[in-house]
Amino acid sequence: MSSRVDVISEIAPTARIARDVRVGPFCIIGPHVTIGPGTVLSRRVTVVGHTSIGSQNHIEEGCVLGASPQDLKYAGQPTVLIIGHRNRFGRGVTAHIGTELGGFITRIGSDNVILDGCHIAHDCYIDDKTFLGRYVMLAGHIRIQTGSVMEDFAGAHHFVTIGRYARVGARTPVRRDVPPFTYFYSEDYGWTAPSVRGIHDDGIRAAKLRRYEERELRQALADLFDDEAALQTKIEQIITMGAEGEVAALCEFCQNSLKGVFGRQRELYRGKAPPEAAETPITQQWLDPRRRST
Amino acid sequence: MPEISRYAVVEKGAELADDVRVGPFAYVGPKVTIGPGCIIENNVSITGKTELGPKNHVFPMAVIGAPDPQSPSAVGQVVLGEANDIREQVTIYAGQDEPTRIGRDNLIMIGCQIGPSAQVGDHGIFANCTHINAGAVIEDYVRTSAFPVIESGVRVGAYTFVAGYACIDRSAPPFAMVQGFPYRVRGVNTHNLQRCGFTDEDIARLKRVFRELFDGSGSTPNAEVLQRLAAAREGNAHVRRLLESLRAAGSDS
Repeated sequence: MSSRVDVISEIAPTARIARDVRVGPFCIIGPHVTIGPGTVLSRRVTVVGHTSIGSQNHIEEGCVLGASPQDLKYAGQPTVLIIGHRNRFGRGVTAHIGTELGGFITRIGSDNVILDGCHIAHDCYIDDKTFLGRYVMLAGHIRIQTGSVMEDFAGAHHFVTIGRYARVGARTPVRRDVPPFTYFYSEDYGWTAPSVRGIHDDGIRAAKLRRYEERELRQALADLFDDEAALQTKIEQIITMGAEGEVAALCEFCQNSLKGVFGRQRELYRGKAPPEAAETPITQQWLDPRRRST
Repeated sequence: MPEISRYAVVEKGAELADDVRVGPFAYVGPKVTIGPGCIIENNVSITGKTELGPKNHVFPMAVIGAPDPQSPSAVGQVVLGEANDIREQVTIYAGQDEPTRIGRDNLIMIGCQIGPSAQVGDHGIFANCTHINAGAVIEDYVRTSAFPVIESGVRVGAYTFVAGYACIDRSAPPFAMVQGFPYRVRGVNTHNLQRCGFTDEDIARLKRVFRELFDGSGSTPNAEVLQRLAAAREGNAHVRRLLESLRAAGSDS
């Protein structure tokens, strides 16, 4: 199938677009954009900045991808937005390019479902198979690990990490790290600090653990979050008893969060590139300082 | 000559300064004035009797001068100052009797809504989906977090931080951090005051006064303390400003 581009859409001649990309009417594609095969841009989609989009993504009406970050320190540096494969973007999703201090990159993995009106700010790293409900607002420098779920109108503070297969309840302002496999929630819009309210059963199912692993994980989660004030001693207890696999990862996550600032482990990367930035392959030409972002 | 995309629609009668850029699929209505250095990106609509000062940057999908939903046929007015960033999907409604006014150097982030006749000061930062309803007054250097609602006709004092998901249903004092639904005063916005060059002495004084006035459980100050402080001829100008605004808010309700 050859590329189908609507006549009433403005595509920069230097944009690299695969052969079978479909672009609907009123779309804008900037000069430094790369779009992989099978991606569909419906109508009124704007893709600007140094943005690369992988294959088979579906981008709905009114999305704006790759605009400059909402950061007062940003001054037109050629930072990038990298989107993987098979993601679904709902209507009016916005994702911004990175900043120089945050490691130059905003990255969205593969197989994510991002519903209407979500905002993915500068320097966020979203892994794979996550689900962001309607109007989920992510501030800068956030990491969302594989398989986690954020329900409608949830919001996250700068530098928060949301662990693997965790679930954040609707209208919850996340101000500290959410441990893996937990259900994190606040019923009064964050007046009382949101906290771990239980185990995310669907997450444990989706992670396809072995039966004994699941049993140990459930036991560890119940022990750790029974009384969060004593979290540190409980982590040490579990580690001395010999934790491995998911339980060890859970303990490490909680320990890192305790070491961070206000329970946020990524605060330690404030003002410098996080380790994920080094893992992400980007073409060198993007970082050429002579190229300015649009 | 302004640089207008071949796909943009700029109506006859619109006044654009020489170096304005208008992106594709943008619409500029007939009664719009756009100052020098403004960038209007793609898919933006600017309608009504709208004036943009110099160096404003309007991002895709924003709407400025949208008609008041309660009287959609009337043409309203918006006056936008200098060097504001209006991000994606922001809607600024036009005021009928009184124009919607926005000062200078504001950053209005994605999905914010500014109601008809709202008055926004200078140097504000409004995070995503801040809803400022009709006739609300926002003073200078206000910061908000995501999703707060500022109800119609209320005033938010200068340097105040409005936490995420808060509902400002009565006037909020200056220098404060407010949170909750309905809102409660949490304390002094120390971080913002330090950034704005307040001295440690001023901040300490404000903190002491706040601790006396608010017990953390509500948004109304302790009336006895307020009366005593007002009678005590406060020397600090910032505290005087706080007390005056609290008195004005008290006499409104």
